[in-house]
Amino acid sequence: MTLIDVIFWFFAAVTLGSAAVVVFSRNIIYSAFALLFTFFGVAGFYVLLGADFIAITQLLIYVGGILVLLVFGVMLTNKVVSVDIKSGTLNAGVAMVVVSLTAGTIAGIFYATEWKTAPAEMLQPTTAGELGTMMMTSYLLPFEVASVVLLVALIGAAMVSRRDRSKQEAA
Amino acid sequence: MMQFLGLGILTWITFLPVAGMAVVLLLGKDNKQAIRWTAAVFTGIQVVIAALIYMGFDRGMSGINTMAGFQYVEKVSWIDIRSFSWFGNLKIEYFLGIDGLSVLMVILTALISFIAVFASWGIEKSLKGYFALLLLLDAGMMGVFVSLDFFLFYVFWEIMLLPMYFLIGIWGGPRREYAAIKFFLYTLLGSVRMLLAVIALYFSVSVLDPATGEKVHTFNMIAMMNPANFEPGSLLEGVGTTWRYMAFIALFIGFAIKVPIFPFHTWLPDAHVEAPTAISVILAGVLLKMGTYGILRVSFPMFPDAAVAYQIPLAILGFVNIVYGALVAMAQTDFKKLIAYSSISHMGVVILGMAALNTQGMTGAILQMFNHGTITAMLFLIVGVIYDRAHTRGLNEFGGLMNQMPRYSAVMVIAFFAALGLPGLSGFISEAFSFIGAFQAFRWIAIASTIGIVLTAAYMLWTLQRVFLGTLPEKWKDLPDINGRELFMLVPLAVIVIILGVYPAPAIDLMSSAVNTLVDIVNAQGAMALIGQ
Amino acid sequence: MLPHILESAKLFYPELALTIAFCFVILAGLVTRNRIFTGLAGMAGVLAALYFVSVQAPVDGTAFSDMLAVDGFSRFFKIVILAATFIVQLFSLQSAELKSRAMGTAEYNALLTALALGMCLMAGASNMLMMYLALELTSITSYLLAGYTREAEDSAEAALKYVIYGAVASGMMLYGISIVYGLTGALDIYSVNQALGSGQVNLWTLILAGILITVGFGYKISAVPFHFWTPDVYEGAPVTITALLSVASKAAGFAMMIRFFRVTFADLIMGGQETGAWAMLGGFEWNEVLAVLAVLSMTLGNLVALWQNNLKRLLAYSSIAHAGYMLLGVVTMSPEGVSAVMIYFVVYLFMNLGAFYVVMLVADKTGSEEMSAYAGLGQRSPFIGVAMTIFLLSLTGIPPTAGFVGKLYIFSALIGAKMIGLVVIGALNSVVSLYYYVRILKNMFLKDAAPGGAVFGLSVPEVAMLLLLLVPTLLLGLYFGPLVEYAQASVSIFGIPR
Repeated sequence: MTLIDVIFWFFAAVTLGSAAVVVFSRNIIYSAFALLFTFFGVAGFYVLLGADFIAITQLLIYVGGILVLLVFGVMLTNKVVSVDIKSGTLNAGVAMVVVSLTAGTIAGIFYATEWKTAPAEMLQPTTAGELGTMMMTSYLLPFEVASVVLLVALIGAAMVSRRDRSKQEAA
Repeated sequence: MMQFLGLGILTWITFLPVAGMAVVLLLGKDNKQAIRWTAAVFTGIQVVIAALIYMGFDRGMSGINTMAGFQYVEKVSWIDIRSFSWFGNLKIEYFLGIDGLSVLMVILTALISFIAVFASWGIEKSLKGYFALLLLLDAGMMGVFVSLDFFLFYVFWEIMLLPMYFLIGIWGGPRREYAAIKFFLYTLLGSVRMLLAVIALYFSVSVLDPATGEKVHTFNMIAMMNPANFEPGSLLEGVGTTWRYMAFIALFIGFAIKVPIFPFHTWLPDAHVEAPTAISVILAGVLLKMGTYGILRVSFPMFPDAAVAYQIPLAILGFVNIVYGALVAMAQTDFKKLIAYSSISHMGVVILGMAALNTQGMTGAILQMFNHGTITAMLFLIVGVIYDRAHTRGLNEFGGLMNQMPRYSAVMVIAFFAALGLPGLSGFISEAFSFIGAFQAFRWIAIASTIGIVLTAAYMLWTLQRVFLGTLPEKWKDLPDINGRELFMLVPLAVIVIILGVYPAPAIDLMSSAVNTLVDIVNAQGAMALIGQ
Repeated sequence: MLPHILESAKLFYPELALTIAFCFVILAGLVTRNRIFTGLAGMAGVLAALYFVSVQAPVDGTAFSDMLAVDGFSRFFKIVILAATFIVQLFSLQSAELKSRAMGTAEYNALLTALALGMCLMAGASNMLMMYLALELTSITSYLLAGYTREAEDSAEAALKYVIYGAVASGMMLYGISIVYGLTGALDIYSVNQALGSGQVNLWTLILAGILITVGFGYKISAVPFHFWTPDVYEGAPVTITALLSVASKAAGFAMMIRFFRVTFADLIMGGQETGAWAMLGGFEWNEVLAVLAVLSMTLGNLVALWQNNLKRLLAYSSIAHAGYMLLGVVTMSPEGVSAVMIYFVVYLFMNLGAFYVVMLVADKTGSEEMSAYAGLGQRSPFIGVAMTIFLLSLTGIPPTAGFVGKLYIFSALIGAKMIGLVVIGALNSVVSLYYYVRILKNMFLKDAAPGGAVFGLSVPEVAMLLLLLVPTLLLGLYFGPLVEYAQASVSIFGIPR
């Protein structure tokens, strides 16, 4: 085992362990916090893969943005709505069968498949510059379309929240 | 070729009713008399045109599978798709023409439609819609009999469904909704199968375009009858292949549902019982013939191998229709249902005759199509007359009407005797021809089928007895006799029935050369298939 | 790079027009609340896009580094999509449902153009990343539009269902795309095809990926078993949006699916040069998977539609069945089949939008979408009754309506490919469909109007709108030569040898 392997297994353990807490915890606040470690673990993988820009983005957006928002949401609604937010389980047996079948298939196929891998020397010290160039050249169109998707989502968020207000006024 | 205002005479006879429909739709809703007379005038002109066609018809020309043998031909390119690479060229033509096979049907359609308009005189509910649909139905029927392009044929075939659905569904009896949808579903079930066979034929047949010298797929029926036009390697190429048998069966089911041949007949009694009188007249008088016409026009000449191979099963179906129809008719107490089942029985004679695949049998079959059209139309009109007066069709409720309604009785006796095949009336001639033909081809089935004649005589006479003899029930003391309008409808039909009974030559002359050609094609090509096996 | 981008931008005018209209309508919405103004602005954008599509040179090519194919195939679908959007925008100007909304409809009109943009991108996308983005743009816009007017509980449930199904489906698709990327190291479908054709690719992994991606397509075209969202969303959404989803969004899904299967999985070198039929790489017959979907969609859609009493729900199931018919065209994997699908879409555009327009008119005037609202409609408003009759017959596929031509070409393609079993199932299904379409006819003409069912007249724009949809429905049934020629000429997919 090289050092890289040790680090990989460490991140894997962190990711899977915290993900298990996210799913199995009965208290949604614990789940939200455990998600933090999952995101961290995944970011670690990105670093191992040499995708430094993605790793940073993962931390900035998922941990810094989405997760904080999530925790805010959970804590605030917990106070406002008198009902306890808890996650329960339904149809555990069926789900178990379906999930293990799916997981088995995917795992089996992944194990058996010969994946196309990039040669090691292509790995560069930093990918940010390369990514930036790509986004402005070959991937210009997806980049721009993504901005339209975001704009639509923005409008949608505004629409949905505004409607809620008008409903309250009506009531 | 006869033309008027630049349009061929067959276009006129087909689309006049559509023009009539347009006029009816433009008229005011409350202008009832005008609507009725518009319909009468347009269908009347149609009868005149039919008479012109009859007089101008060249008895010597054969038709069936040669372009030159058709008369009053109109051929205009309709859809002509010139495409590239993988897509074949496609050609659909506005192609009308008649031969000995269809001329009688054209005359019958014109006549029955005209009579149906008068039979509808008493309709009061949404009169405008009624006559508009009736005229559309008329155009559809006429179109089926005159079109020689399969696409056009199919379009006309399907155009009739909707008017028929509404005519039964809106103006019918108490269970009209059920009867109407049943009719619609059954016929569509048949016609989608037909469509598949048509597409398969279309893909298999191509002709050389005289202009460009390229191969063009075509819907031309006549081209489909020539074995040389089938492309090598195509689905329906060759003789006696499984695909050809399957296509024949698909087509056959499409037509059999219309005839209707047992076991596809169950829509017919419902439709007849619920339909208003005029619609029953059209249904029995013309619509059923489209099925047998289709078999003769399409199935036999395009699939002679299958026709020969399935000759005996076809004959057995004819036998079943004859006997089954007669037996069930015997058990009926509803006058209209009885006539409906008698129709099934009589159409069985057509099937039996055409299955014989010889001149006598086919002549009998075609003649029977015409005669049954006129006779059944009379029978349904007769039912309509009594129903309008008594508002019941229960046979057992009547009796002793002979003295109460003498003129009505006279007409009814002619119709009934014609239906049971009394010599001297038209029904006898066609049934005799059919049976003679059948007897030559398959002796035992023909003999067994004669049971049907006995049964028919039995129930017809029994019906006459129940209605006319015995004592007149108290409640029918005031029934008025048949009136002028009703006589106007019935008498011409009775005259035709008597004339053709005594002297059938005018009708037989029309078709004899076409029938001979058809018989030759089927037997010559069918024999090849048998040798091939 | 810059010259290439500038060159590409010229091919991108239609989408640019839509984007500009989208931004303009949003900004205009900040200034004015005028419903008509924003509506017309959106329509101008769509018309401009339609114009740019139609004047594009009939040359096949790609834009933005193979992100987007600009070819006959995509042009055809863009025209269908834009025409459908335009017609729905016309509906929207008249819709009482939208008028009743106090907040104004600037966002609504803006989102319509965004939806059109997403769908046009779907029609052209030739890179899996682009496909996914276009699909997401379309989906997110659809979620928002579907929940635009109603605040009722059940429509909230419908919207939620839509979002969850959509998320799961697009997630699975993304997963499939990532597997394909892992196998081939490429995202644009031409390179993927090359990699699949040259290298040793694990077939089972590829099949798994293909099935996952098919889930995404299946969801978009609402094929069984990915259809569960359809009835609820169609019922809950405003009629205008339901109409658009049923035609345009389905067209976009089909365009993307056909291009994906045609380019990615087909063997471009082997076979089919003469007939144009596709041979599949790796010997796995994808058309069998699609055939199962097609048969399930037709049969289930038609059978369940028999029991529906809400017209929008009924048409939802009917649209599932129609997706099945169109899938049959794809199953043939031949140019005939693809052109049949294209012909079907043009026809479907008019007849289905027509049926939805009638539903909208009746709902606006009677406040009900139930079957009972149609009782005696034939007497109460003969013109609507006749128009609806023609639309429904066309949906059934009875000549001389356009629907017949659509079915004729689908069936022809199948018989041409000698797939007789499928064509029989398809034909029998159209008989089943007759029953529920005729149930509407029965209510309109055979039943008397309920007491209080007032006679209602039509305004001039309403009559004009009906005629706009009615005339092509009849005309294309009687004279379909130009349509067929145009569709057959447009089958050219970029990168596929003719």
